[in-house]
Amino acid sequence: MCLSRALCPATLALALALSSESSGQSTVDRLISASAKAIQDSAIVVDTHEDTPLRFLDENYDIGSVDPIDHDYISLAKAHAGNLTGEFFSIFVYPPENKLHFTTRALELIDSVYEQAAQHPDRMMMAFSSEDIERAHQVHKLAALMGVEGGHAIENDIRVLRNFYRLGVRYMTLTWSTSNEWADSSGDIDDAKVEHHNGLTDFGKQVVLEMNRLGMMVDISHVSDKTFWDAIAVAKAPVIASHSSARALTDSPRNMTDEMLRAVAKNGGVVCVNFVGYFVDESFARASERQHQSMTAAVRDYAAKQNTAGHPLTPEDSQRFALEWLNRNPIARAPLRSLIDHIDHVARVAGVDHVGLGSDFDGRNFFPEGIDTAADICPRLRRHCWIGDTAPTTFTRFSAEMC
Amino acid sequence: MNAFQGSVVRLCFLGSAAILLSSVALGQNSSAISAKARAIHESAIVVDTHADTPQRFLDDNFDIGNSDPKDIGHLSLDKAHAGNLGAEFFSIWVDPETNQGHYAKHTLDLIDTVYEQAARHPDRMMMAFSVADIERAHKQKKLAALMGIEGGHSIENSIRVLRDYYRLGVRYMTLSWSNTNEWADSSGDIDDPKVQHHNGLTDFGKQVVLEMNRLGMMVDISHVADKTFWDAIAVSKAPVIASHSSARALCNAPRNMTDDMLRAVAKNGGVVDVNFYSGFDDQSYWDANKAQEKERDAAVKEYLDKLKAEGKTPSYMDEERIQRQWMAKIPRPPFKVLIDQIDHIAKVAGVDHVGLGSDFDGVSGQTPEGMDSAADLPKITQGLLDRGYSAEDIHKILGGNVLRVFAEVEQVSRNMQTQETRTQAGK
Repeated sequence: MCLSRALCPATLALALALSSESSGQSTVDRLISASAKAIQDSAIVVDTHEDTPLRFLDENYDIGSVDPIDHDYISLAKAHAGNLTGEFFSIFVYPPENKLHFTTRALELIDSVYEQAAQHPDRMMMAFSSEDIERAHQVHKLAALMGVEGGHAIENDIRVLRNFYRLGVRYMTLTWSTSNEWADSSGDIDDAKVEHHNGLTDFGKQVVLEMNRLGMMVDISHVSDKTFWDAIAVAKAPVIASHSSARALTDSPRNMTDEMLRAVAKNGGVVCVNFVGYFVDESFARASERQHQSMTAAVRDYAAKQNTAGHPLTPEDSQRFALEWLNRNPIARAPLRSLIDHIDHVARVAGVDHVGLGSDFDGRNFFPEGIDTAADICPRLRRHCWIGDTAPTTFTRFSAEMC
Repeated sequence: MNAFQGSVVRLCFLGSAAILLSSVALGQNSSAISAKARAIHESAIVVDTHADTPQRFLDDNFDIGNSDPKDIGHLSLDKAHAGNLGAEFFSIWVDPETNQGHYAKHTLDLIDTVYEQAARHPDRMMMAFSVADIERAHKQKKLAALMGIEGGHSIENSIRVLRDYYRLGVRYMTLSWSNTNEWADSSGDIDDPKVQHHNGLTDFGKQVVLEMNRLGMMVDISHVADKTFWDAIAVSKAPVIASHSSARALCNAPRNMTDDMLRAVAKNGGVVDVNFYSGFDDQSYWDANKAQEKERDAAVKEYLDKLKAEGKTPSYMDEERIQRQWMAKIPRPPFKVLIDQIDHIAKVAGVDHVGLGSDFDGVSGQTPEGMDSAADLPKITQGLLDRGYSAEDIHKILGGNVLRVFAEVEQVSRNMQTQETRTQAGK
């Protein structure tokens, strides 16, 4: 989940998804050279972030779905088409909707991943280590891992953190877009109403060390700059950015500066590039911001008009209106090269050993052209082919170091 | 964790105020045990299905490796070793009042305490999740630590949370504690008209039972209302347990089981594990306790109010201290009441359907004379031997029956899951 939902209503995401062209392996195949395909097929491809568990839980989505018009980025068929081997499913607890129940909601999301694996034992398996990922690769199954997105899920309790590890969670993003009681987030760092801590509190540092002790990867995506520097100073193991892009190319506080990229390289970690257009293409970011503002204004005007006419809108009415508005006012997707540029930039600044893939699939459907499903991950990379199988290898090495 | 019906004050105190200083020091019990009884006891895998020690781990920072002779707790590694206790089901009990809105989180806290104790003492204790694990621990001479959740409110009405508890190693769940939850009536408040009841288990409650069967988590009917018991036993596809319940024919507590229930558990293939609490084993203790209840509750309330007036926040320990003082006024029943309970259940349900569910560290120290800690478990063997029980039957009572039921529950789970896979494949 990439940004505050204030900027990213489900309606908007859905609308964009619906308006995006449907994907098909045949289209992909036509565009991928034989050598790119060969490289792709011989890799262990790992993606460190995607948000389908929300759909498992709230929409009863089945990862085995073969519905051609389903807008999801991840299904077993799509993962297979893209030779995706390891997926870190995000355990994301949306704070405003789950106040006082962060931990319970996390438990439910965790269960949703296990349940999907149990429903498709022939094509998917739970994985908790780099060895498990390799085993899954050998038996041609999707390895399902889990990462908790946002330290608020532990409810300030190291004991809860340990139980998440026992349940199989293998990374935790220290914050989501909201600062929690022990770590500042980039998402609200400029909001004077939010109580900040100048990075990590002492308890936050304890959390990092306990994660190191457990063997849970410390994920610094989403955190504020100071939290990043605190985490990297405290951590005794390499860190990851599970879904973050480069700030030098796209100026978002969620993205990483070149200095940070070099620090991750020094730390031995990996930065897994976020695919979301908003983070990889500035003009797309600006256009979608404008689109969002216009849509909000349009909804507001419509609601006021209906109110005056004595027909106040229900939330569903507003959603429907927003959806229709978005369909009538589409914006152009970011070009694919923006994503490749980010990977290339991180590889050049941090080194090719320190870059990977963190799609953020299903978190926000603002992906660049050509990235419509998991089926497109590798083919697209290979086509702009300079990276070979470096990213997955990096992860595997890295993961082996962790476990 | 026990609680009397209708009592305004919790009776589940945790902790370590010093009332049992007169208790026999560890190791001095051996003289009371004959060589024959000792041999029978030492060759058994002894399993206890209920101890509330996790409350001490969490709230008192108690270390199970504690060897302080003055510690009044029922359970430590030394005491377990002295009593040849092979496996303990540590109770994950979430006080429904003080943890309102946070049942799942507090459950996770307690679960973690058990793992942490095992991690601290890898040479003498290990986590166990199956019959095979218990047997392995026995061979390695370690205490097998298992977990049971006491009170279905812990799942916060979510089957998904229940499954995560199973994944974390929880191997039984008591459908209710003394509080009726949203899907199961409890004996603890069944006569309270202010509480919304369901006439036993709701449809969701029945789903919970079936999911527990599918997972391989034992269904525990201690604490539940009579109708919940009958609903559970009708729905369950696997044998059930009463993790810590005694017989109502000998002590008329609503928490205890009628002879009809005992026979129903026998028919179901399950096991009733006798609670060591004096108030559930002995009618005169129960009556004396009832008689002082009003006065005691008032005294406790007065004491707590006084603390509050002084600007203090009363803790468990404050409450525990005064509770124990009051309960210590009631004479302890003789050890034989515990053997009477086991004997009654063995006669009514059969010797294959009775076991041990001590409720150690959950009964404010109120156990029959001579039963002061896990180190006293061999006295049960002696008591049964004295009444003519064979070594084989004693082994069943000490743990064999529980292991049989646990193994059957594991088998039912495997069968249900295989069936499910077949159904999926057939789709």
